[in-house]
Amino acid sequence: MTDATANAPARTGLTAAALVGPATVVVALGVLGPLLLLAKYSVNKYDPYEFMISAFSPENYVQFFTDPFYLAAFWTTIRISILCTLVCIVLGFPLAYVLARTQSRFKNLMIIGVVVPLFVGNAVRAAGWMTLLGSRGFLSVSLENLGITSGSTEIMYSELAVILGIIAVNLPYMVLTLQSVIEGISRNLEEAAFSMGAGPWTMFRRVLWPMALPGVAAGTILTFILAMNAYATPVLLGGPEFHMMAPVIYDQFQLNNWPFSAAVAFILMASTLALTVAAGFATRQRFRA
Amino acid sequence: MARLELNALTKRYGDFHAARDVSLDVPEGEFLVLLGPSGCGKTTTLRMIAGFVEPTAGSISIGGNDVTRLPPWKRNTGLVFQNYALFPHMTVAENVAFGLEMRKMSKAETAEKVRGALDLVQLGHLADRYPRQMSGGQQQRVALARALVFRPDVLLLDEPLSNLDAKLRHEVRIEIRALQQRLGITAVMVTHDQEEALTMSDRLVVMSEGQVRQVGTQRELYETPASRFVAGFVGRSSFLEGELRDGRLVTSGGLAIEVSKPIHGPVTAALRPERIAVSAEPPAEGTNVFPGTVELVSYMGGLIDLHVRLSPSDLVVAQVSNQGGTLPAMGDRVFASLGTPAVFPASDPHARGH
Repeated sequence: MTDATANAPARTGLTAAALVGPATVVVALGVLGPLLLLAKYSVNKYDPYEFMISAFSPENYVQFFTDPFYLAAFWTTIRISILCTLVCIVLGFPLAYVLARTQSRFKNLMIIGVVVPLFVGNAVRAAGWMTLLGSRGFLSVSLENLGITSGSTEIMYSELAVILGIIAVNLPYMVLTLQSVIEGISRNLEEAAFSMGAGPWTMFRRVLWPMALPGVAAGTILTFILAMNAYATPVLLGGPEFHMMAPVIYDQFQLNNWPFSAAVAFILMASTLALTVAAGFATRQRFRA
Repeated sequence: MARLELNALTKRYGDFHAARDVSLDVPEGEFLVLLGPSGCGKTTTLRMIAGFVEPTAGSISIGGNDVTRLPPWKRNTGLVFQNYALFPHMTVAENVAFGLEMRKMSKAETAEKVRGALDLVQLGHLADRYPRQMSGGQQQRVALARALVFRPDVLLLDEPLSNLDAKLRHEVRIEIRALQQRLGITAVMVTHDQEEALTMSDRLVVMSEGQVRQVGTQRELYETPASRFVAGFVGRSSFLEGELRDGRLVTSGGLAIEVSKPIHGPVTAALRPERIAVSAEPPAEGTNVFPGTVELVSYMGGLIDLHVRLSPSDLVVAQVSNQGGTLPAMGDRVFASLGTPAVFPASDPHARGH
């Protein structure tokens, strides 16, 4: 008995190590290792014959920020990511609210309905969008046959197509995140606000929204990161003239320019992180709880 | 502060009546308690008054105005919930100020009223705390201040004490009642706790299966329950079943009990535990005295519960006061004087008796 008591703290420590250990090893080997390697690559030099020469030079970063082509891809990525994330919040909140509050026995079915699109890979989904939005696609032909438009309507290979595609991919993440947070907000709080004279909009603004903010933040981070790093959707729906960051990285990698590719990857990562932190900081300033 | 009238209020979900023909007239300043087992329709009724459940039929009027079709935010009711429902992202003062803000009251006046309301519940010194930093009892007092600060026409309380421990429950109970009387506010409270109901209300409404079974003061309900259900639900009763023969209730165990008012057919007699006297020797006088055996002694300090078996199928619970000296023990032979019990038709627990 005495032995067991004496050993208890040590055993707790061992248990904790056993629980944390495997994940730590995977993260260290699978994420931190490649990241450090990439960091080194990004300051290396590219040579058409040698491919990569070990160095310590800011050259790749300078090249990125001085070339209008890459800067354009950079700003396009940020602009589209912010836009898609905002649309996901606006479309996702009401949907998440209904899912969280419904008493329907089909609630689980409704949630599955939200998740089902995630069962399909991004590339396959984008292919679906292509048949829908192409010049001889479903939308174009329908509009034409209904006499709304004359001639074909081309939505494919445009920024609009990419935005639609990314929203479709990201919306479920936003909805599921918000739904679980809204479910944790007692319905009584809404009713208390109503009984004190707050109409639905005031109740939302003063009670529901501030309380759902942690969920909005989590959903925003999730969908924003997904949008910043989108690959299949911009490539397949945006076409060859449309450029976002993740495809740029892959293209450079294909050209065997690993140092530049690594630098672009780091810029993408850093900007995603910076914007996420900035957004988090801004919301915390406004809604101190 | 106004009179509240419910006229044949009904809520139907498909074939299920959550509330059926509920008619109540609550005069200004009265504290009315809706009492009943879970699923009896008391909460549905309260939520219809607050405006969260739309009645299928019937009407509600507050202060003479029909509010049946008004949304909750236009009804001017104060609401107190079981789980307090304080806004966790607002301080105590901000919580209390919410209703005043909705009424577009000036900053200075709001601050003054908030201070007044918090002083009323003795929490003025905690105005800048957040709800999570307070005890349950404090939170419920804040909720009370928040519901009263804008002077609602009717104060609605939905099991406000159920989340509190026994000692706090007692304190907050007294506080709610004192405030309600001091402000002269019309209040409706829902509870399943009959002690709460008995000690707080001016009048009680006993409900079951969506219907009002009896309305009256504590005393009326206790002394003259309208049905077997009310006799069992308000206060405790022992029930003896039997047939009425020659003005006496004859149980299957062979007891012949004289009753107050003979009715026909199978009947049930309801006996209040404190009205049954127990003695070791046969009493000199008394009606319905039967010998029996003590089966269980339940010691509660000042009072003692005695379960006395009068026949193989008849058991009564008597409550006697503890006068010191020797206490009856299990297995003792005793005499139970039952008095003259009220009787109800046995077939329907809601049938009127006496």
